[in-house]
Amino acid sequence: MEAKQGWLASRVPGLGCVCGLMKEGRAPGVCWIAALPALLGALLAVLLASGAVITVYYNPWHAYASLQGITREVRGGWLVLSYHQVGASLAFALLYLHLFRILLVRGYRAPAEFAWMLWVKLLALLLLTGWLGFVLNGGEGGYSSLFNTSNAATTLSGFPGAVAMWFLGGQPGGSTLARLLVFHVLLALCAVWVILMARAAARKARPMLQGRVVPFWPVYAAQYFAALSALALLFALLLGFAPHWGQGTQNAIPAAAMAVPSISYPWYLTPLAGLAGVFPSVTGHIWAVVAAVALLYALPWLDRSKGAPPGRVYKLLTWLLALDVLALGLFTACPIGPMLPELLTFWFFFHFLVLTPLVTMMEAA
Amino acid sequence: MAESTAKPGAVPAEADRRDFLRILAMAGGAVGVASVIWPLVDALNPDAAGAAQAQPIVTVSDIPENSAKTVYWANMPILIRRLTDKQIADAEVVAMTDLPDPAEISSRVAPGNGHFVVVVGLNTGTPCELEGNSPSGPRGNYEGWVCPCDGSQYDVLGRVRSGPAKRNLAIPRFTFINKAQIQLG
Repeated sequence: MEAKQGWLASRVPGLGCVCGLMKEGRAPGVCWIAALPALLGALLAVLLASGAVITVYYNPWHAYASLQGITREVRGGWLVLSYHQVGASLAFALLYLHLFRILLVRGYRAPAEFAWMLWVKLLALLLLTGWLGFVLNGGEGGYSSLFNTSNAATTLSGFPGAVAMWFLGGQPGGSTLARLLVFHVLLALCAVWVILMARAAARKARPMLQGRVVPFWPVYAAQYFAALSALALLFALLLGFAPHWGQGTQNAIPAAAMAVPSISYPWYLTPLAGLAGVFPSVTGHIWAVVAAVALLYALPWLDRSKGAPPGRVYKLLTWLLALDVLALGLFTACPIGPMLPELLTFWFFFHFLVLTPLVTMMEAA
Repeated sequence: MAESTAKPGAVPAEADRRDFLRILAMAGGAVGVASVIWPLVDALNPDAAGAAQAQPIVTVSDIPENSAKTVYWANMPILIRRLTDKQIADAEVVAMTDLPDPAEISSRVAPGNGHFVVVVGLNTGTPCELEGNSPSGPRGNYEGWVCPCDGSQYDVLGRVRSGPAKRNLAIPRFTFINKAQIQLG
């Protein structure tokens, strides 16, 4: 076995690093949450496999009807669709959790800033892929969202407008979902590549181990398997009892161009949708989304702490930010007050643009 | 396996229990992974609509003697003809040297159901749907089928007799499930 691995690893570039993972040492007492990226990778694998099966039967020219056909006529088709839906839900949950954890421990600073930027890229890719998946359902919600987005794209001018037109191919028509399906698949494959890159970058940024080292196999491998089992249990529970959890009911009716557009997004898109909805005009929505992701991307430079450990105030603010994002999603899905989304959106930008530089500078001093 | 210094019949050592737990965990994991993958592999089988169309059952007992009916299967016209006793007797005495594509009658009909000819109704010359199901329609000089496009003529068994076409009509996969019905595919 060892000899075989050595033979392959000396001939296939990159394989030695994969095999070496098992022998790699870790610091003692690594928390179970370190398994999150690996779990995310497992979920992406489930999404790719189920997506490949769905693509065999999916017909973008008759999207809604073909999904009905998959549910009724394909063997286990209803289960494969649920794999895809639950897999997407859990992938977003794990990615949000992972980003929150990096924020909390300030894991985005040098030398791990490149890994952080890749995680943010992964978030952007998954958000776009998730939205495309929502649209590809061919339901009323997806159609309305696509309709609004195309309208926004026509008002953009110059280079952004040209890119948006290229992406959407003009007003929604027969071939729109066919092209969006291609982008959905391409972006998903890009996401796999980005997650591999991010994990490699994070591994590279890990400090050199001093003193006692615990081998990955079997100590941490067992921990990873336990984490995978917990995820599998959660996956099975959602699959069995709540496959449509957090998806909204609007996509359950077929798209109709004459219906009044009002959109309920899946839960993982609602915080961003709420944040965008605060800004006037459709062009404003697009720039708000771009700004929110760009801020995350710029975080290594917004942080002025210069290597100091995170202080109490910073941690408190990070927890507040998490609550803020959760509330933004919740109150977008079920609006209760007039000024609440505005306030929560303001806090999001205020946190990154003012509080983060200020607090990190004060705590480092 | 753990080395065991214990006497036979003694309480299992700690390591034996661990081996058991490991095997149990691995077996559980294998079952879990297999049950996740099973629906994904199974879903690539033909779907219900495809399976229903793949092997249709056709009633042949309602075809009158000396005429044929057309059913469509695998996007092709399938011609099913009921022969008269005279047509069978005539076909048996045709000399093989008269046929462009020699074929015995036994190779053109199903054993035990010699009155029925089942062929793909596409001319083997110019691809065209054949005419001649009805006794009153155009049938050519051999009582069989004729191609409206290039004039190729076939006899009652679907053997080519004249015209640009050089090969006999193809015979689709089919089985008699009883005296009155055939199943295609």
